[in-house]
Amino acid sequence: MSPGRVALRRAIRHGGFWIGGTIIFVIVLMAIFAPLLTPYDPSVQSLSEGFVPPVWAEAGSWEHPLGTDNLGRDYFARLLYGARISLGLGLLTVIISGTIGTAMGITAGYWGGWPDMIINFFITVRLTLPVVLVALVVVALIGSSLWLLILVIGLLLWDRFAIVVRSATQQLAQREYITSARAIGSSTPRILFREILPNITGPLVVVTSIEIAHAILLEAALSFLGLGVQPPDVSWGLMVAEAKAQLLFRPWMIAIPGAALVLLIFAINLVGDALRDVTTPEGKA
Amino acid sequence: MSDDTRILSVRGLNVQIPIPGSTLWPVRDVNIDVGRGETVAVVGESGCGKSLTALAIMGLLPRQAKVQSEALRLNAESLAEASPKRWRQLRGDRIAMIFQDPMTALDPCYRIGDQMCEILQQHRKISRSAAMKRSLDLLGKVGIPAPEERLKQYPHQLSGGLRQRVMIAMALLCEPELIIADEPTTALDVTIQAQILRLLRDIQRETNIGLLLITHDLGVVAGMADRIVVMYGGEVVEVGTCDQVLAQPLHPYTEGLVRSIPVPGETEQGEALGYIPGIVPRQVGERTACGFVDRCPYATSACREEPIAMRDAGDGRLMRCILPTDGSARDPDVWILPDETSAQGATNSGSL
Amino acid sequence: MLVYLSKRLLMTFLVIAVTSVIAFLLVHLSGDPAAAMAGEGASQADIETVRETYGFDRPLYVQYLDWVSRVVTGDLGRSTYLRADVTDVLARHLPVTATLGVCALGFALALSIPLGVLAALRPNTMIDRFSLWLAVAGQALPSFLFALGLMYLFGVYLRVLPISGSETWWHFIMPSVALGYYATPAIMRLTRSGMLDVMLSDHVRTARAYGLSPWRVVVRHGLRHAIIPVVSLAAVQLGFMLGGSIVIETIFSLKGIGHLAWESIQRADIEVIQAILLVIAVAYAVLTLLADLLNAALDPRIRIS
Repeated sequence: MSPGRVALRRAIRHGGFWIGGTIIFVIVLMAIFAPLLTPYDPSVQSLSEGFVPPVWAEAGSWEHPLGTDNLGRDYFARLLYGARISLGLGLLTVIISGTIGTAMGITAGYWGGWPDMIINFFITVRLTLPVVLVALVVVALIGSSLWLLILVIGLLLWDRFAIVVRSATQQLAQREYITSARAIGSSTPRILFREILPNITGPLVVVTSIEIAHAILLEAALSFLGLGVQPPDVSWGLMVAEAKAQLLFRPWMIAIPGAALVLLIFAINLVGDALRDVTTPEGKA
Repeated sequence: MSDDTRILSVRGLNVQIPIPGSTLWPVRDVNIDVGRGETVAVVGESGCGKSLTALAIMGLLPRQAKVQSEALRLNAESLAEASPKRWRQLRGDRIAMIFQDPMTALDPCYRIGDQMCEILQQHRKISRSAAMKRSLDLLGKVGIPAPEERLKQYPHQLSGGLRQRVMIAMALLCEPELIIADEPTTALDVTIQAQILRLLRDIQRETNIGLLLITHDLGVVAGMADRIVVMYGGEVVEVGTCDQVLAQPLHPYTEGLVRSIPVPGETEQGEALGYIPGIVPRQVGERTACGFVDRCPYATSACREEPIAMRDAGDGRLMRCILPTDGSARDPDVWILPDETSAQGATNSGSL
Repeated sequence: MLVYLSKRLLMTFLVIAVTSVIAFLLVHLSGDPAAAMAGEGASQADIETVRETYGFDRPLYVQYLDWVSRVVTGDLGRSTYLRADVTDVLARHLPVTATLGVCALGFALALSIPLGVLAALRPNTMIDRFSLWLAVAGQALPSFLFALGLMYLFGVYLRVLPISGSETWWHFIMPSVALGYYATPAIMRLTRSGMLDVMLSDHVRTARAYGLSPWRVVVRHGLRHAIIPVVSLAAVQLGFMLGGSIVIETIFSLKGIGHLAWESIQRADIEVIQAILLVIAVAYAVLTLLADLLNAALDPRIRIS
């Protein structure tokens, strides 16, 4: 049985995998079917209906189950459409950072020597730069669009990919079946794609989950500071920023998008931990 | 040996470790006595349970291991019933243990002097300077040159032989009544081994302490031990004085061990050495037959019927075997199988 | 040891050099610095005047070298908005951030090390699972949310702590907790695994065999070893905190360099932004160097050989 199938079987038995996976699945569904779940447009303002409390409060009703914000926009709708941004952004940035980081990691791990030293240097430089500040500077000076945001985050968060892939590749490259593949004259790209890449999927999958969470958190922080997702787009971080002034009297406006954020990240972490558990051969402390 | 000269008395010591599905039973019904001024050697190959026995006597096994005994006494005091606090008082003070690898046994982050003073001040109310003085004296006593400098050094700055001398000095700090030495020379060069053993012997003669020497090496035993306890598969299979056991081994396992040692002056060059084929089996569950039966060249069907009890073989000797003691059923050549290709599994001087 | 030290110093220097180039390029290439400085609504002529006055029309590498040569003499430029030397401005704001960082790290260590030790001493028991869950939960909570939550609970609801400003030590409590807890899971996990390993080691067995008290065994002979990688991690985390302080400082109105960076970004105060990026990067590089040295210093086997 291939390692992939073994891991899958173990994942199925893992509690965290199910809990985390279910939560993510539900959130994804809600994001995809947002237009079906709410009649409202998240950016349509209705100033006369501002600050309607959620349904569980006295003045609340099922018309706006989670209430409205200061501009009368339905909160539930904003939550759902915000999920689209968070999830979409998380995936897209990880594709960028994952590709960059994996390419660098494989290069460093497989060839060693000078390429390894150079790439290690790049990783060190990247780690020395304060990510939030750099992202802020770029977005502030160039101007904020969603695609720029995705690009910037993707170009900043490749370091862990590079580190993990490099280490995994190093371990593999020393094994005998690689040297024997080379001995029989397999070309390098062939070795890379057929031998190395399939075998690093374990750690790669784990890092991917970690970095999706990381990207979502970074976007939330940037949006909170006002230099992330911009209106009319919705992001949970942006919702928290806009609700900050309401901390005293309407704390639910912060708590609702906050809870959504925490729940999503928590679920991603659970799945990531589960994946780590099932892809390590045996015996963890 | 009378009760009042006996320092250590172990009766019916059992160690069991639960594992998924069954129970490991690495120490089975072990009896050991050590008297004042006596050296008892516990001999057996890797995996026979001798180190675990020593650790059980010291109370150093992890929580998962279940240790039971009918009696475990240091002088008259029952160790089995001692509280953890009492154990801490006794360890290092009344019983001391010397471990196999002094490089890893000593803490690399602290100087020798600090480690020694720490032990002394744990057990005695003395000042640091007095503790340092005593440490210095002991380092000199165990034959370490320039002891003042050694006190200030770290373990990695000393050679293997010196480190083991330091361990011996540490063991003597509180003037214990019993020292347990677990393979004290295995990690050392052959030339140093002899020095360390001589040192242990001299100290013992001088202080009259009891010495429980754990080893797989019969060569070590020959010059050192008063009595020998042979262990196999977690059980004691033979007990006797050193001379008795080496000259006329009774249990087949002991016989195999003895025959596998070349004797200087007697064994001819190119002569095949005996060896015991097979490997030590994992000790799981209850016994249904003799523990050695699968490797024993003398095995009969009677050996497979039920576990063998320890029996008195006369002259103060004990053995766990049904063979007669007069040597009638023995054949020393049964151990030499020169054309056998099973080189794997032969008893060797591997360490635990 | 000396060879190792010089290699690391060279590496650190190179990293700082490259980082300075990146900091410079980021600021000068993200749009037009002259336009940003001239402000909104400035005419094209105004922008050109700014460009000439401040030398933005020179080739980039000339501008860079000019900046670097000034930096090494301690001149970090001049803030256009504040009309003061950047060095002075930073010096005024740095203490707040430094205090915040140290307190945050202190909080993280005080929480995670004991938890990690306890979890290792009693693996798979309540305390172990509790710390594990705390770690998982800690990683899921973004710092700005945690900060707002703390603010609400202690500042608004219970009214026991001040929610803005930096006058007294009380002002630093919530910000330190909000900034520091994110480092807690990593430190706790490392302590736990290090302790699990060391408690099985031979020298701990020797310490037990000689009847040393449990405290001595766990702390002097156990933690002493397990803590070595944690020290490195702590230094690195402090570096991250310095860079990540911007969110906490804006929420709690602490006038540190994070807050200054935030304001400068909004005002397009180029020189300040550049200087802050450089300072934080240098601080991080120095901290990682320190971490490596501490690592070596704590282990006598490396120190004396």
